[in-house]
Amino acid sequence: MYDTPTTVQTDVDAMETKFECRDCQVYYGDSHAIKDVNCDLKANTVTAFIGPSGCGKSTFLRCLNRMNDTIDIARVEGNFRLDGEDIYDKAVDPVQLRAKVGMVFQKPNPFPKSIYDNVAYGPRIHGLAKNKAELDEIVEKALRRGAIWDEVKDRLDSTGTGLSGGQQQRLCIARAVATEPEVLLMDEPCSALDPIATAQVEELIDELRQNYSVVIVTHSMQQAARVSQKTAFFHLGNLVEFGDTGQIFTNPKDPRTESYITGRIG
Amino acid sequence: MTDAAAPNTNRPSKSLLAADKRTKSRNAAESRFKMMGIAAITIGLVFLVILVTAIIRSGVPAFTRTVVQVDFVLTQEQFDTAEKAVLKTGAYTKIFAEYVAQEAEAKGIEAEVTPKALERIMGKIGADIREYYRAHPDKIGQPVKFDLAASSRVDAYLNGDITREGFVSSRFLETGDLDVIDAMVEAGLIKTGWDTTFLFGADAGVDNPGGAGIGVAVVGSFFMMLVVLVLSLPISVAASIYLEEFAPKNRFTDLIEVNISNLAAVPSIVFGILGLAVFIQFMHLPQSAPLVGGLVLTLMTLPTIIISTRASLKAVPPSIRDAALGVGASKMQTVFHHVLPLAAPGILTGTIIGLAQALGETAPLLLIGMVGFVARAYPDSFIGGFTEANSVMPAQIYTWASRADPGFYEKAWGGIIILLVFLLTMNIIAIILRRRFERRW
Repeated sequence: MYDTPTTVQTDVDAMETKFECRDCQVYYGDSHAIKDVNCDLKANTVTAFIGPSGCGKSTFLRCLNRMNDTIDIARVEGNFRLDGEDIYDKAVDPVQLRAKVGMVFQKPNPFPKSIYDNVAYGPRIHGLAKNKAELDEIVEKALRRGAIWDEVKDRLDSTGTGLSGGQQQRLCIARAVATEPEVLLMDEPCSALDPIATAQVEELIDELRQNYSVVIVTHSMQQAARVSQKTAFFHLGNLVEFGDTGQIFTNPKDPRTESYITGRIG
Repeated sequence: MTDAAAPNTNRPSKSLLAADKRTKSRNAAESRFKMMGIAAITIGLVFLVILVTAIIRSGVPAFTRTVVQVDFVLTQEQFDTAEKAVLKTGAYTKIFAEYVAQEAEAKGIEAEVTPKALERIMGKIGADIREYYRAHPDKIGQPVKFDLAASSRVDAYLNGDITREGFVSSRFLETGDLDVIDAMVEAGLIKTGWDTTFLFGADAGVDNPGGAGIGVAVVGSFFMMLVVLVLSLPISVAASIYLEEFAPKNRFTDLIEVNISNLAAVPSIVFGILGLAVFIQFMHLPQSAPLVGGLVLTLMTLPTIIISTRASLKAVPPSIRDAALGVGASKMQTVFHHVLPLAAPGILTGTIIGLAQALGETAPLLLIGMVGFVARAYPDSFIGGFTEANSVMPAQIYTWASRADPGFYEKAWGGIIILLVFLLTMNIIAIILRRRFERRW
């Protein structure tokens, strides 16, 4: 059993609901990947999705910014409301949605461009900067938030792909926050990182909570316990248990959750 | 305790210093494979060397030609007499023959130079000389430096392709003419120089290989390739991007995909017939025009470029698409800002393969009338370059190779050298462009 994390805020239920998901189903062709998932994601909260491989955590995460639209065989049903608006409504342009709901992927995937252009790309296409000076400011701010500014400030013109794995991931986080999203989705952001880089990213996630609502998929239960306030446990496409992180790790209600966090299944 | 921890007693530990039977046979297989690989490369290289040597050996003489170089003086009296003669050009030939005999004699060489022999050696020079003096009457009485082309038989004789042993007189060259040639060489009247006619000239008649040049056909090829490039690159890249990135995957797009692959395997002559029927007979575009040739070859090049473009689009890692979509780029922004630049080197490679194929294509162009002998004059204007009747290099080479006069044989080889140089230039430009694309990233 894990110690109750000290950073956990217990009053997150007081926060307003950012994402409201009801009766969510996802099908990949014939296989039913997500079954009847209901959950509310709070603002200014880190929510962790945990569960064994192939349980549907990443699939559910990708529903939240409609990245599943890019997969031909995927079919999403149910009700996803961001600030009360149905994100699967016909009137919603996924491009606008993704500007609001940023995403960081499992594998660091910087563009093969300069570090500056990597971060500046989002603000450029969304027209967030009126001139070069403003853009410079946005880039610096994003890189500082990504906790990578000090390492790259002297070589903004060198390519993003030339950085180390951990730096690349932090660059990707900087790129995601540069567009000022309201929700940040992170799909196993630390799986390719060493413990030091992981610690930096986790610290960063905690800071990002001030401004964003963060959803993080992770295989590391320690990480979920360290960074999140809410935890959702997925198993075989079902959302088995969803609650305060402290409660999930110390006093799980469902026997499957208990088996998983004690290492008996998964 | 699991089974893995059980000690393995029935397999004794072996020494690492002595290779066992399995290892030996594996290593033998590997070295056999390496040997075969080296042999394959060697065979390829040997054939390449043979090919290049053959082309250069047979083709280089096409770039040189034998000229009769004389300082000729025509007096007013000779001019008047010749203009009064019944056979005027014959009279000029006679005057020139006397002059050549005189020149040889002045150097102490005896030779019987008859007007007939001179005509066999140098073609209808009487007409050339007459034309010159009628155009420049002020040059009469003054020494004029003439560079008169010798016939291809003289080239062949001086190259050693024709020897005195086993020489059979024909209406093109008689045994006595060889003495005249020898005398002229000794007198320093015959020289070998660069053949600018070959590089910049137009095709000539079947009996005049010396006057034939590939220049006009090069221009024809250039304009035709311009049409192919301008049409096939944008069309096929747009088609591939749509099919690969935007089109829904259904039966209809599957059908299109299969058909594109089939199109790449259609024999080129079919495209020629199609071009003849559609572009010339139905749309009434000008016959033998590089524009029509370009259209036909565009049809042929499209599938090649589409297939390679789709392959290089597929090779772009999906994580880049995710990254761009994740920051809120639209599909089109994703494709044009991130996917296409990464695929550009592959697209360029496909394009250059397609264009090289088009450059070397002969059969479909013969069907639409871009035959070698059509290339008689340079186009008058830039637009004319597309619409005026012309030929292309491979068709010109084919026409020369099928002519009876052996002089055209070396012209054909020389044409191949020019074709290869053209191709090499195209490839080098593509490589430079590709480097530039890659450096941007």
